[in-house]
Amino acid sequence: MTKLVQTIDLITNFYTYEGVVRALDKVNLTIEHGTTFGLVGESGCGKSVTVRSLLRIIQAPGKVEDGEVWFFQNAQQDTEGIELLSQNEKYMQALRGDSISMIFQEPNAALNPIMSIGDQVSESFLFHRKQEMCRQISDTLYSPDCQIFLPVKKLLQPLYRLAAKNTGAWLLKFLSRVPVFKYWDRLLKREALRRSVDIIAKLGISNAEEIVKSYPHNLSGGMKQRIVIAIALACHPVLLIADEATSNLDVTIQAQILELLRELRQKEISSVLLITHDLGVVAETCDRVGVMYAGQLCEVANVKDLFGNPKHPYTQALLHSVPRLSQKGPLQSIEGSVPNLVAPPRGCRFHPRCPHCKEICRKSFPMLVEIGNHHFVACYLWTNLSRD
Amino acid sequence: MLPFIIRRFFFLIFVLFGVSVLIFGILMTFSPERRAAAYVTTPQQAKDIPKIIKQFGLDDPFYHQYFRWIKEVAKGNLGWSLVAARPVGEAFWRYFPVTLEMNLFAAPIVIFFGIWLGSVSGIHRDTWVDHSTRIFAIIGWSLPTFLFALILLMVFYGYFQAFSPGVLSDELTLFIIDNPDKFTPYTGMYTIDGILNGRLDIALDGLHHLVLPIITYVIVVVALNMRVMRSGIIEELSKDYVLTARAKGADNKTVNFKHARRNALLPVVTVAGQLVALSMEGSVSVEVVYNRHGIGWWLAESATQLDMPVLMCICLFMGVVFVITNLILDIMYAVIDPRIRLN
Repeated sequence: MTKLVQTIDLITNFYTYEGVVRALDKVNLTIEHGTTFGLVGESGCGKSVTVRSLLRIIQAPGKVEDGEVWFFQNAQQDTEGIELLSQNEKYMQALRGDSISMIFQEPNAALNPIMSIGDQVSESFLFHRKQEMCRQISDTLYSPDCQIFLPVKKLLQPLYRLAAKNTGAWLLKFLSRVPVFKYWDRLLKREALRRSVDIIAKLGISNAEEIVKSYPHNLSGGMKQRIVIAIALACHPVLLIADEATSNLDVTIQAQILELLRELRQKEISSVLLITHDLGVVAETCDRVGVMYAGQLCEVANVKDLFGNPKHPYTQALLHSVPRLSQKGPLQSIEGSVPNLVAPPRGCRFHPRCPHCKEICRKSFPMLVEIGNHHFVACYLWTNLSRD
Repeated sequence: MLPFIIRRFFFLIFVLFGVSVLIFGILMTFSPERRAAAYVTTPQQAKDIPKIIKQFGLDDPFYHQYFRWIKEVAKGNLGWSLVAARPVGEAFWRYFPVTLEMNLFAAPIVIFFGIWLGSVSGIHRDTWVDHSTRIFAIIGWSLPTFLFALILLMVFYGYFQAFSPGVLSDELTLFIIDNPDKFTPYTGMYTIDGILNGRLDIALDGLHHLVLPIITYVIVVVALNMRVMRSGIIEELSKDYVLTARAKGADNKTVNFKHARRNALLPVVTVAGQLVALSMEGSVSVEVVYNRHGIGWWLAESATQLDMPVLMCICLFMGVVFVITNLILDIMYAVIDPRIRLN
């Protein structure tokens, strides 16, 4: 197994009026090439914040304070990692949507209501595949069987050749501001739209040509989620992050989308990071699972080990609170409530609700240690090592 | 689209009926003597008041007087304006261009400046750019217009002798009165007529007299527009589709302007449209302080003299303006927002 993304001691805080919300407290997460990783936990435990910190799209007033995020794009050379938090914004823009892309919880809100579907999917290609598309168009323009009106063709040929060399040339930027001439990129937009139709059709939508002309309010929730997936998949990412991608859909659509993700993982993308609070989804789709509680990672294991043999008291309690058909008597719940992250409890953040709480749990946080077969736990029941 | 517009104009009849009944009713709360007194100028004429009441039927029931007025309006007779000393219809076309001229220049400045300032301050939220534009806006919005106009007039005209009040300087006004054959008032707006007549000096002089009123009006009104735009941008930037755009790899410029700003424009269109419609009635303070004889000045003068036909005429005019503005706004909504269909 080779690493794809690794976070080291990631700390993210939100500076609100009530005080500093310590949303992530030293999260160490490793996702491997070719796996589906499930990240589970209650609402507000920092699942979404983790992936947003990783992509550096935390919205104000949030801020990534400390830590490292290593990204190993190529499965073979896992020594040549890139530290994402130290890269500049331009590098991150080129990376987002290209190597790592993300789909969101609420398909109804995740699409811009006043832009057509085609425009929104095309944007992915225009951000990341502009040069390649210009080269392709330039080749067609120079080929003898190009059917464009001759003077227009003569004008467009050098422009696209220039764009294929350097998409940010000042001449092109200038032309984009001049009336009439600013339509020089019509062929480029048409090509992006054509690719959008292809990718949408690939996701099992039959009338893709009509869909690209419609607006989000014309589509159903499941359809919108497919479009959001199409946007994310446009540039064949190495890692697809699905942030509660199925939580707000009804079960039929949910099953379809999960099936789609599974298919895509086999054919198109290397790894999927699935964020969810639905343990059933995790059991069915993931290879590895990480359990988060109050901004900290408490257990990481292969899916079978986690469900068959949970080690951390929180994981155990979480699994007990899932309703079963064979269950008799009332459903168990976890005592207490999620701590306020403005003033989190000292030591292990789970200790006020933990049935096995010891003296040391109140003082310091246990280290995330391996207890065999890639099974990591952060709990003093299994280790004596403290983190700090 | 066309049936929608026709239906809106049909709707206009009801709006005008409602507005006129309301205003007419309010004016009826004045006693017949008070209303007759508007036509009395000397103490000797005071004994004629009962005669005036009888002659014009001022003590008839409300609906008699109202329908008499409607009948005259339908014939095209809006009445006599005491302030202008000419028929109301004629006086309206004399005063309206002055107000319209100021709006033609001020409205685009208010709209574009408001949108620009609002987006800048919303995007750079809680930075010094944001704080300074907000302070500027609050000062402009809370300062009384007449006070601000007087300060500007005092500083620029009082101390520097620049930007005199009025519509046109005296020499040029005299020239126009003396040479009616050399200068044709096509529109009644000196800046435009000056260009049409090939007299650039008149156009420039008209513009020169517009500077202070426009500055006053813009500074007072732009704040509202700016604040709506700012809160719109801030709200839109926190929405999920902005995150989708960022996750796609969009740069800040695309996120702010292509995604967030267009969505934030909808409420701004409403506010800006209402502001422009409202300003058609002329800003009373600006027109009175700068001695520009426009609708606002006329309205103020007529109201103090209880000049009923003028008040009714301006109310009807405002009814028409608001119905048309709302129609234009609805069409603009449909252009900006694909979710809205006109039917």
